[in-house]
Amino acid sequence: MDFTHCSLGAGVRLHLCETDKFNTITCKMFVQQNLAPDTAAATALIPALLKRGSMKFPSTRQIARELEYLHAASFSADALKIGERQLLEIYFDMIDPSLLPDGEENWKRGLATLWDIAFHPFIEGSGFRQEYFDQEKLNLRREVEGLINDKRSYALVRAAAVMCGDEPYGVYRYGSVPAIDALENAAEYRYYQELMATRPLDIFIVGKNLDLVANEIARLELPRQGVETLAPPVVRQAAEERWHVEEVPAQQTVLVLGYRTGVRYLDPGYYGLVVANGILGGFPHSKLFMNVRERSSLAYYVSSFVDGTKGVLMVNAGVSAAKVEEAVRIIKEQVDALQQGQITPEELEQTKVGLCSSIASMADDPGSVIDRNLAGLVNGEMRSFDDVLGAIKSVTAADVQAAAKTLQLDTVYVLKGSLEKE
Amino acid sequence: MEKIKAPTGEELLTGYLPNGLHYGILLKPGFVKKYAVLAVKYGSLDSKFELPGEGVVEVPDGIAHFLEHKLFEEPEGNVFDRFAQLGASVNAFTSYTQTAYLFSTVDHLPAALRELARFVTYPYLTYENVEKEKGIIIQELLMYEDHPDRRLHKNLLNALYHVNPVRIDVGGTPESVSQITVDWLLKCYRAFYQPANMALFVAGDVEPQQVLEAVQGELPNDPPQPVGNRIYPEEPAHINEEWIEDRLSISRPRCALGFKSEPISDGRESLRRYLAMNIAIRLIAARSSPYYERLYDSGLVDDSFGASFSSTPFYSYCMVTSQTDDPYRFVEEIKGIARDVQREAICEADVERLKRQLYGSYIAAFDSLEYTANSYITHFFNGTPYFEYLSILQGLTAKDVQEAAARHLDLEKCAVSVLWPTEGPGRGQG
Repeated sequence: MDFTHCSLGAGVRLHLCETDKFNTITCKMFVQQNLAPDTAAATALIPALLKRGSMKFPSTRQIARELEYLHAASFSADALKIGERQLLEIYFDMIDPSLLPDGEENWKRGLATLWDIAFHPFIEGSGFRQEYFDQEKLNLRREVEGLINDKRSYALVRAAAVMCGDEPYGVYRYGSVPAIDALENAAEYRYYQELMATRPLDIFIVGKNLDLVANEIARLELPRQGVETLAPPVVRQAAEERWHVEEVPAQQTVLVLGYRTGVRYLDPGYYGLVVANGILGGFPHSKLFMNVRERSSLAYYVSSFVDGTKGVLMVNAGVSAAKVEEAVRIIKEQVDALQQGQITPEELEQTKVGLCSSIASMADDPGSVIDRNLAGLVNGEMRSFDDVLGAIKSVTAADVQAAAKTLQLDTVYVLKGSLEKE
Repeated sequence: MEKIKAPTGEELLTGYLPNGLHYGILLKPGFVKKYAVLAVKYGSLDSKFELPGEGVVEVPDGIAHFLEHKLFEEPEGNVFDRFAQLGASVNAFTSYTQTAYLFSTVDHLPAALRELARFVTYPYLTYENVEKEKGIIIQELLMYEDHPDRRLHKNLLNALYHVNPVRIDVGGTPESVSQITVDWLLKCYRAFYQPANMALFVAGDVEPQQVLEAVQGELPNDPPQPVGNRIYPEEPAHINEEWIEDRLSISRPRCALGFKSEPISDGRESLRRYLAMNIAIRLIAARSSPYYERLYDSGLVDDSFGASFSSTPFYSYCMVTSQTDDPYRFVEEIKGIARDVQREAICEADVERLKRQLYGSYIAAFDSLEYTANSYITHFFNGTPYFEYLSILQGLTAKDVQEAAARHLDLEKCAVSVLWPTEGPGRGQG
């Protein structure tokens, strides 16, 4: 379930995964950009504008009707953050032609529709249709303001912002309210054209009979003019442990501990860090879950994740406001235990097996078959299923301890719920 | 054992074991992952029932969900570990009408199935471990309290229903959870955790015989036992309250309209109505709808605007919801649209296009082992014929859609739930 790669011109690559496992053909395109405070909002507005209409289907309603007619083809677009890159993602899937009465017509028409939506947005004069632009700018602003509605996501975004205040990593993937307010239509359209023409563009497709699809894509036009080189991420040591507390009217308190690690995707110790994170907080058998939830009943959820592109590890828990200090103490004890090499053979084995089976399972979902390559895409080295599985299987307890030793606590962020009943 | 060919060409095997357990096995050649669900037809609605020889039992709310948590505990430790040793990941959920235990795994399917059947068969409940669980569950309930859509939805159900237990959160309340005891848990366990009241679904590249042998070895093999006889309160046809409001720390008001309707007991008719309503709600709230376009362009709604139709043998309602700055105008607009859909002729071409969409979605869904398994079990428990989906869909006409809309978007039985933002940090009412 790996991809074959070919170039479609400057900075454009086509990645194909031929398989008859699925009932759909799935396509994702990614355009990469540096994550930066002055462009994040502009990138984030593009998905919303693409959804509003194309030259052939000039409204959301017309796009939606076309997708329904294509037997539930789906189209979506979003802005992602991987390390210090922002990715414009365009998603499209359609039913495998062999399962439809009018399959041949369906997929060709589907592909043409995707191209039209992605590369020919609805333009009037020198920019997007003004009403669309104004509305989507307002909606994006509301989206960013609405982050507070989900306390857990809000806390994670705020923790990154506090911890990496003057690094690109602190920028939210949808930008900030002032940056959104400052967007202007004609400049936004020029920015869109520049992104599509000059930033790395990767097209991934998973499905059956892809040689036909590839031939069709080769005939479609791409508005390209060379390729821009993007910046590598900023790597920094942790300073003194900092606490940052914000209060909101909520029942529950969310706690985030941000650690820095020098170990990153291209480093030899990377899979040691991946396994260390698994033992710490990736699974229900992990140290955090067992000690914070099961032994102390302090939290309903507690887990950790690694961003190997940036080199950070974040621990996240929902706790009662009165128990913040106790929870932080127990979380630190778990990290200490890892650093001292307190890793049982069962923990190591269960974690490796758990990681391997979740990675192997990605082969069953076309979206995941594509997404598992994102870290590789951004770091310039895509890895096959077998390479990743092999690397995880060969991790030893010493590797885990070595990776854990690089963890330095940087920021403790507390989103304190003020409504809690004792 | 019956062999059915799915519209995508995959094979599905169904049948019953001698102890009464129903099973379905979907063969997915080439898939790495195997997914299994063992579900009990017992959910949060079932808090009052009659047990042979014991009379009527009424238990605290949230007990089905509490049991779900507790079954993961064993004298020799915790179930998560044993699944983790097999490389399997185990989980569970409780809904109004079922409790489901599930896992996915790449290797060791028979061993994982035996673990699943075993931990569901042998409850291990002590005073201490039940007390300890209360803290975890209360944290879980508090987390939901902060979740805007859950709060909005729960309030709507309170406005629609007088006594139907669908009013109460699946997990119960912190008060009801505090009252739960070992005795009550065991009583409920014995009343409902019978193979004849359960269903198993396994999907993946699997050996059917191996699957059946694994569970047969662990589940009780006695002939089917009597199950607790559920007692539901008599729910009036009219709504409880027209308008219900609440505050939460959110950025923009949210509003939901609910339309209460009579649940349908006949399975085939229920599925037919469900599909017709899925077309009706798309005519109102899908992106292809002119109403969606008008409300979105006017700024009244954003892309959170949507509608759903919930239908089980115990309750049935339609919900239309959005974030909006003006909930009052939103309510008037939706009521107007509901009237329109019932009064003006629905366009046959729109219905045909939406049928193409539902057809494609049904086919695509077979790629998700989780979705297929859960939807098969839900259809089985609700008594709706899953495999007639496409044939019922093909037969639908604009007239069917209009009739369903008239029945399930009854303006006389419409209630509203609004969630306002708290004014500012520290001053909220919660």
